[in-house]
Amino acid sequence: MAHKSLKTVKPIPEKGSATVVKTKAQARSHVKPGVILVGADKGGVGKTTIARALLDYLAGNNILSRAFDTESPRGTLHRFHPELTSVVDLTSTSDQMKIIDTLNTAEVKVSVIDVRAGGLGPALHALQDTGFLDAVREGEITFVVFHVLGSSIASLDEITEVAPYVEDAYYYLVKNHVNDTTFFEWDPVTHRKYFEKVNTAGEITIPKLNEMAYEQVEISGTPFSTFVANQTASGDEANHSFVLRGYVRTWLNRIGEEFDRVELLRLISGKTGKER
Amino acid sequence: MRRRTIVFIACSPHARTGVSTTARLLTDYYLSRNIDVVGFDADPHEPFYGDLFPSHVRPIDLNDVRGQIALFDSLLIDDERPKIVDVWHRSYDKFFTMIKEIRFIEEAVKVGLEPIFLYHVDPSERSLSGALTLYRTWSDASLIAVHNEGASPLGAEQHEILSYYPARGKFVIGPLNAPAAKVLRDPNFSITRFLTAPPSDMSIVVRAALKYWISSAFTQFQSFELRAALEGLDCLR
Repeated sequence: MAHKSLKTVKPIPEKGSATVVKTKAQARSHVKPGVILVGADKGGVGKTTIARALLDYLAGNNILSRAFDTESPRGTLHRFHPELTSVVDLTSTSDQMKIIDTLNTAEVKVSVIDVRAGGLGPALHALQDTGFLDAVREGEITFVVFHVLGSSIASLDEITEVAPYVEDAYYYLVKNHVNDTTFFEWDPVTHRKYFEKVNTAGEITIPKLNEMAYEQVEISGTPFSTFVANQTASGDEANHSFVLRGYVRTWLNRIGEEFDRVELLRLISGKTGKER
Repeated sequence: MRRRTIVFIACSPHARTGVSTTARLLTDYYLSRNIDVVGFDADPHEPFYGDLFPSHVRPIDLNDVRGQIALFDSLLIDDERPKIVDVWHRSYDKFFTMIKEIRFIEEAVKVGLEPIFLYHVDPSERSLSGALTLYRTWSDASLIAVHNEGASPLGAEQHEILSYYPARGKFVIGPLNAPAAKVLRDPNFSITRFLTAPPSDMSIVVRAALKYWISSAFTQFQSFELRAALEGLDCLR
């Protein structure tokens, strides 16, 4: 794959700059649609966990969102967020239309795409072929990419492969510690070798969640925030451990602080993070 | 009248301040009045408090999630039974870090429980700063300063030292003479049994000293309990 120089990655707009300051009326009349893609080529790095936490974060900040799960035919994200999530095949034209053609018309302006393992490259390629990346370049769509890294050196190769597609995106490298991944310490030479090819908008660190708490949320089959609120998927009162709910709440708050730190809400909606 | 469930958290950042003694006295105070108690001993290695009341007190390991669940989930049960936690000084930081993270005090207040810190004072500056931290962090919980005169004497300046503590009240546990203290250290000795049927072979002097010591503590607990009940009466609000 040919690599372009990627030194032109979008800067995050300054608070109060002309690009983000709009009247409320203007903001209502034209909220730029935002797409947040969560992906990695390696499996088991916790993409869906991050997509789930992201949906909770958006909901907690009153941002309406919809989600697309590319783990076809039966997606894990869909299991936890069935009301928000559609299972799609990003390489199918009809599903591409379902996502991209509705970006401007849908009431919900933020779309989260959870890309299945091994699907990041093909997904970005498909987005390029459909003209989506051109629309991003034209500033019609805000495109945020969360590239979830694994613990092996293969993740660095992934960065190089993804780089050509994300030059107009807000591209974040995500280190996910939720499943106790220990990341290799990149030595400066290795680091330079890979990172000179890509400019990222920043790094996001997902903290570890206590295993038992994680397992109980899995069993409950509900969003993290529903578990914290001690509710079942149908909204009835559940009987989850207070301690485990506390662990999940603290973990979600820490992720929220990470998203606040990179000003995710401002990128996709012009809002700032809430007080935690 | 329904009794409000109280969660007593007996604690101190330092060893030998009388934390387990207070937990023990409080447990016996309730048991001697036929009020069931749920206790927890946060020293999983040598649970002296747990050993004294095997059918009422559970040793728990705060470094284990199952131990955390056994403790905090049980504490939140609003069943009118007083809950007593003996926070081992080595578990002190872990315990308070956890209750902050999981917002235990806030949840306890929300479900109608009354959390009370029984903070055991000593002459060190860290003792005072620890109490101030608890007070500032959890204004919803009451802080009672416990001064165990035998374990942690404050000396001639005790009134001045205690006046710096942001406490809603104070308990003073008096010193015991050596023979009486020795009896109390025996894990087979039960205060509740002693009160109902003092052993006939026990020295009269020791018996008198123990009775005085116990009744002094129980009187303070009763006075506290009555005051708390009065404060909780709707007609007096």
